[in-house]
Amino acid sequence: MKKLLKLCFSASLLCLFSMSMYGQRTISGTIIDAETNEPLIGANVLIKGFSTGTITDIDGSYSLQIPDGATELMISYTGYTDQTMTIGENSRMDISLSQGSLLDEIVVVGYGAVKKRDLTGAVASLKEEDFNKGVVISADQLLQGRVTGVNIVNNSGQPGGQATVKIRGNNSIRSGADPLYVIDGIPLDGRTAKAGLLSTDIGNIENSNPLNFLNPSDIASIEVLKDASSAAIYGARASNGVILITTKKGRTGETQVNLNTSFGTSSTLKEYDVLNGDEYRSALSEYGLTNGDGGGNTDAYDAISRSGSIQNYNLSIGTGGDNSRVRFSAGYQDVKGIIEDSGIKRYSGTLNAQYDLLDDRAGIDFFVVSSHTSEEIAPISTNAGFTGNLIGQALQWNPTIPLMTDGEFTTGVNNPGVGATTINPLQLLNGHSEVANTTTLLGSVSPYFNITDNIQYRYRFGINYGTGVTRGSITKDLNVQGVEGLGFAGASTNQLVTNLHTHTLSYTTDLNDNLSLSALGGFEYQKFDFSGYAFAGFGFDDVEPNVDIVYNLQNSDNDNRIVTSFADPISELQSYFGRVNLGVGDRLNITATVRADGSTKFGANNRYGIFPSAAVAWNVVNESFLEDGPFDDLKVRLGWGVTGNQEFPAGAALQRVVLNNDEGTTFQNAANEDLRWEESTTINFGLDFGLFDYRLTGSIDYYNRTTRDLLIDAQLQEPGPPVRAWKNLDAELVNSGFELGLNAYIIEKEDFGLNFGVNLAFLNNQLQNYTGPDILTGDLFGQGSSGAFIQKHVDGKPLNTYFLRDFQGLDESGNSIYANDGALVEAGDPNADIIAGFTVGVNAGALNFGMNWNGAFGHSLYNNTAMSVIPIGNLGNRNIDGNLLGGTTQESTANPIASSTRFLESGDFLKLANATISYDIGAVSSFENINISLTGQNLIIITDYTGFDPEINTVNLRNGVPSSGIEYIPYPSARTILLGLNVSF
Amino acid sequence: MKNIIYLFLFLLVGLGFTACSDLEETHRKDLTILEDLDPDAVLQSAYNSMRLPYQDQSRFWAAQEHTSDEAMGPTRGPDWDDNGIWRSLHNHSWDADHAFLGSTFSELLQIVYSTSNLLAFDPSAQTAAESRFLRAYVVNSLVDGWGQVPYRDDFQDLLSDAKVLSAAEAVDLIISELDAIEADLPDGPANVANKDAAKVLKMKTLLNKGMYLDRANPSFDQADMNQVISLADDIINSGKYSISTNYFDNFAPNNDQISTENIFTALNEGGISSGNVRSRWFCGLHYNQNPSGWNGFCTLGDFYDSFETDDLRVRADYPGMTEVAGINAGFLIGQQVDGDGNELMDRKGNQLAYTKEVALTEAGDNLEITGVRVMKYPIDYNSGDNADNDYVYFRYSDVLMMKAEALMRNGNSGDALAIVNDIRDARGVSALSSIDETSMLAERGREFYWEGFRRTDLLRFGRFLDAWEEKPASGAERLVFPIPAASLASNPNLVQNPGY
Repeated sequence: MKKLLKLCFSASLLCLFSMSMYGQRTISGTIIDAETNEPLIGANVLIKGFSTGTITDIDGSYSLQIPDGATELMISYTGYTDQTMTIGENSRMDISLSQGSLLDEIVVVGYGAVKKRDLTGAVASLKEEDFNKGVVISADQLLQGRVTGVNIVNNSGQPGGQATVKIRGNNSIRSGADPLYVIDGIPLDGRTAKAGLLSTDIGNIENSNPLNFLNPSDIASIEVLKDASSAAIYGARASNGVILITTKKGRTGETQVNLNTSFGTSSTLKEYDVLNGDEYRSALSEYGLTNGDGGGNTDAYDAISRSGSIQNYNLSIGTGGDNSRVRFSAGYQDVKGIIEDSGIKRYSGTLNAQYDLLDDRAGIDFFVVSSHTSEEIAPISTNAGFTGNLIGQALQWNPTIPLMTDGEFTTGVNNPGVGATTINPLQLLNGHSEVANTTTLLGSVSPYFNITDNIQYRYRFGINYGTGVTRGSITKDLNVQGVEGLGFAGASTNQLVTNLHTHTLSYTTDLNDNLSLSALGGFEYQKFDFSGYAFAGFGFDDVEPNVDIVYNLQNSDNDNRIVTSFADPISELQSYFGRVNLGVGDRLNITATVRADGSTKFGANNRYGIFPSAAVAWNVVNESFLEDGPFDDLKVRLGWGVTGNQEFPAGAALQRVVLNNDEGTTFQNAANEDLRWEESTTINFGLDFGLFDYRLTGSIDYYNRTTRDLLIDAQLQEPGPPVRAWKNLDAELVNSGFELGLNAYIIEKEDFGLNFGVNLAFLNNQLQNYTGPDILTGDLFGQGSSGAFIQKHVDGKPLNTYFLRDFQGLDESGNSIYANDGALVEAGDPNADIIAGFTVGVNAGALNFGMNWNGAFGHSLYNNTAMSVIPIGNLGNRNIDGNLLGGTTQESTANPIASSTRFLESGDFLKLANATISYDIGAVSSFENINISLTGQNLIIITDYTGFDPEINTVNLRNGVPSSGIEYIPYPSARTILLGLNVSF
Repeated sequence: MKNIIYLFLFLLVGLGFTACSDLEETHRKDLTILEDLDPDAVLQSAYNSMRLPYQDQSRFWAAQEHTSDEAMGPTRGPDWDDNGIWRSLHNHSWDADHAFLGSTFSELLQIVYSTSNLLAFDPSAQTAAESRFLRAYVVNSLVDGWGQVPYRDDFQDLLSDAKVLSAAEAVDLIISELDAIEADLPDGPANVANKDAAKVLKMKTLLNKGMYLDRANPSFDQADMNQVISLADDIINSGKYSISTNYFDNFAPNNDQISTENIFTALNEGGISSGNVRSRWFCGLHYNQNPSGWNGFCTLGDFYDSFETDDLRVRADYPGMTEVAGINAGFLIGQQVDGDGNELMDRKGNQLAYTKEVALTEAGDNLEITGVRVMKYPIDYNSGDNADNDYVYFRYSDVLMMKAEALMRNGNSGDALAIVNDIRDARGVSALSSIDETSMLAERGREFYWEGFRRTDLLRFGRFLDAWEEKPASGAERLVFPIPAASLASNPNLVQNPGY
């Protein structure tokens, strides 16, 4: 054996020598798709008349020794038209191939890329042209409504606000159900460094979207790994699905400069139907109330809202020489929200560079994103008490009372009709300030070395550094409990640092004519470090109106200050992974992966989790029996895999004791040495097809995912420490469903095209084999709601099932009647049964039109806003819901506020989420192309839901268990019109 | 240049290989093990953790008062429905999912843990004694409310199932603990566990023992009553306490300085760190009063009527409050005014004039003004949300009243009457001519209203199941609270109380 190796070695040395001895010249270059400019991996490059040739690597590049007498290169790639090029004087030849078939698209998968034809898992791939247009702040918004089975619901309408992203249903009974995001091979932490302020009676402000730092215009493609066979290579972080984001790279050839600007305006999508001044007066007289008419006509919502504005500027320059490709970009985005004093600005820069070294035997890739976001945050909390948040205060404001009286804010002091606890929303806007600045750096350096023609070693070092500084204040004139007469100011800082080291070794070979093998092995180490501190003080001197006390924290009362700091235990993830792909002819592809994840978060008895997967794809279309069939493509996929979820707090398995604010200590967490990840086992069965010369393509998938060892922060047996303890529940959460995606090119002519796309997902979600006490969530807020909750996780039912009093209408005296003496009944759940998307594309010459409709059906939403912010009892001093009037029975103003099915509404909706019309002016003077576009977002909404937006979900946690489908005075959604100009030269 | 790049690459790859981890999670901020703990710090935490269950308006205080004939949390139209959580306390329809009762049970048991746990870390004799006192106090509340008490002797193994003490075992534990620690407790001050506090807790436990053992038919052992009397005499003879000339001084923001009655209190540091003692005034004050309150709880008309009009406990102007906001100490009834004497209105434009008439579910245009409000604790206007008023657990007048009751139960009604009349005299009301169970219970109501003892008193006097305002007669299961569902599910040794 040793001898054999030696022989091989000397032979290869000899080869090397012989190459250099002849002094042949080398030609290298990149083979790309003519349309998308994506590199083509594995394209054949042959020298006509000689037996020499090569295939392109992962970047689509090749390098070839040209023997004397060679004249032409022949390039071929399955599904693409062959090309023959004359060899000239240049040592570089970049060649673009025209696409013949969709199946040769390159799809990025974990730690690599494959041709769509060879894909074995359920992976959705979106290229730039498939992305949502319009105002897009974070990358998840590019996908909203575009991918079958991916449900993205905003937690608020605040620009840059967080979203709830669920891939194939709700996979966790607690928070921590977000997918894993991987940007150019760097898995993100998932949290944001944005710092929160120490809360006052105004309540907690929802966190920001962790993807805000990345400029969406720098993204080339997004892949969603939906099933376990594709995601299991990410092991303990893959249970909720994985979203791979690939950034744009520079290309060899002429320098490409692209300038993209857009301007837009936005307005409230849907307002609450509260009374105007005249309606209010007539309601007062209808009820025989003598008080409550301030004589005016005030629209308080109008006073706190505005036309939002959007500006985007993106400049990118891409260039490439013989051995290097570079792209850098700069972006500026300024989104002013539809509520005064709210918005986000982002300054971003990216640099992508690839260098080939050692005659393409090695290379190095650099990638840096640096961005700064500045968010101005309006006082719109998710859990405001009975004085409400800014939105609630505006909805409640008595519409007959002006917001300003003699140049002063109208309050209970100068107008007893207002009431002492009512906060004037305009005064709150004026007296509240909060600005969150977050700076993020994401970078990686990745050298690689081709040890042989088919073995590559690659190392990636990545760092993600984020720091957030938030400052906020409330002036002392505001009648906010605990702040009035004192004033509040605070500053907070968080720091989030992630380090990544990845080593991979990949091997590709053809075992024989009919059998190809590719294998990948890797080691990865990640470290997460999250810490921060905050300061807040009360009791400030009177200052001039233009002085913000947030810059004068030292002025707060000495004995009225709060200082806190935290540092999560540093958590580490150490992983070994591997993948083998076997291709049998053009018919069968088999993939198997395994990952072993060790995490510091796991209990000492469960340090490593093993996550295997296997999948097989059968290209039935290539079987002889289908040779004359109607199918251009027919593939059957079957996959199985195990994935994990380790998104629980660091230190959860440890006994921890914290030092108190002032003195003393408190038990923080009880140890659980057996603590482990949640484990999901998924099977996926899929069918891809193409018909009528690929005019009709589609896929059908069925999946069943069973999640065990559900994590929960549970009550410790009493008497025990005043803490909860993380444990794995002996229960199963089952998500299953069908997915259908269809694309039809109805008309495909040179100057006119028409296509339709449909995506449909049918979802089913159930908690099974659970014997513990019901897990409570769905807290309600506002007056009459202390301690009230309306949702439970119950065995045999979908998560977040509603339990409510059964509202039967009003009795003769106008009070609510509830069935069975107000007994709670099961009343549906907020999980949509069907999620649908529908796209239409039309192109007529240089004119393009596209629109996409989204909808969700079969779920119920609870309107906590209508219940406790604008109830009938407000009549006489605050505003009410206009829908309460005009019924057959007059509701009593004394009808208690109580949670019931009265406020449970169907969440069904259909939205024209996105419509774009664009025109390619083409080359003008030195410009390569000019494109103008007009995009509208949220243009039409069809729904019976009475709240702001059925796609808004105000998330609140009860013992770490999130509510779902409850609206409580959120930041309203916007309708947006955007005019864009794209110039390339 | 190229060489530099290679060197860089080499270093980079090398860097990657150094990153192998044994995956031991490291603490930076938190303490890891309790061996590191300072028992005194844990004791401090234990004192502070008593604040929530005893001072908050929705915990043990609500369990003791809302369920009784002297307090109620009516639903006022759009306000205070809270899914019926307050109403179910007053009309005795609570169940095992009652959030406030569940939280109270859990929080009290957490104190049992922390006070037991520190004993393993070599505390000083006094620290150990204070901690054991707090534990005994909490166990008393637990047996009082729920009739059984989950308990551990060994807190190193938190994963095994805790044993459950019966009422008799719990009473024995309290008394033996108090006897064991008395010598090591300090003499004072009132806001730390002290010798006199231990005596009062022992008196209370002995007085209620017969009720705890048989709630349907409470009995009173003569020897126990004699012990109550002699413990009271110890405290009386110490000469440290006297009846305060101003009843409300005991509850004032500076009660730590001016009260002559307080034996055991919870320290509240004004503006710095307090329990929710402010809820005592916020929960009743109307939105348009100063401070703007929550317009919720009230007392009941019949209870208010049990006072004589010149009783000093009913109404007193209190300096620092009345001249600031027009609010008197005691009961708020009739027209309310601001600090300048201007009449206040409610949010619907009615005169803000509190009425005796009040319904558990209020309807009608006057729903904001019904019910007499209670201002036991004079308002602290200087300390924001962290009021300075120390929360009162035990007062001297209770020592006297318990002695009187023990005397009465042992057949010595004459001496009992003398004690009761002494107190009545100090409160500005005429002497009673005789004393019996009914008048003793009524006097306890007047002396200790809203101090968190009423349910226990009603139980001991066999009156808890009676019908009273806005409450029908209740079933025997109401003599004890249900074990909360979540607690029951976590410990197989717990058995649900009968009837739930």
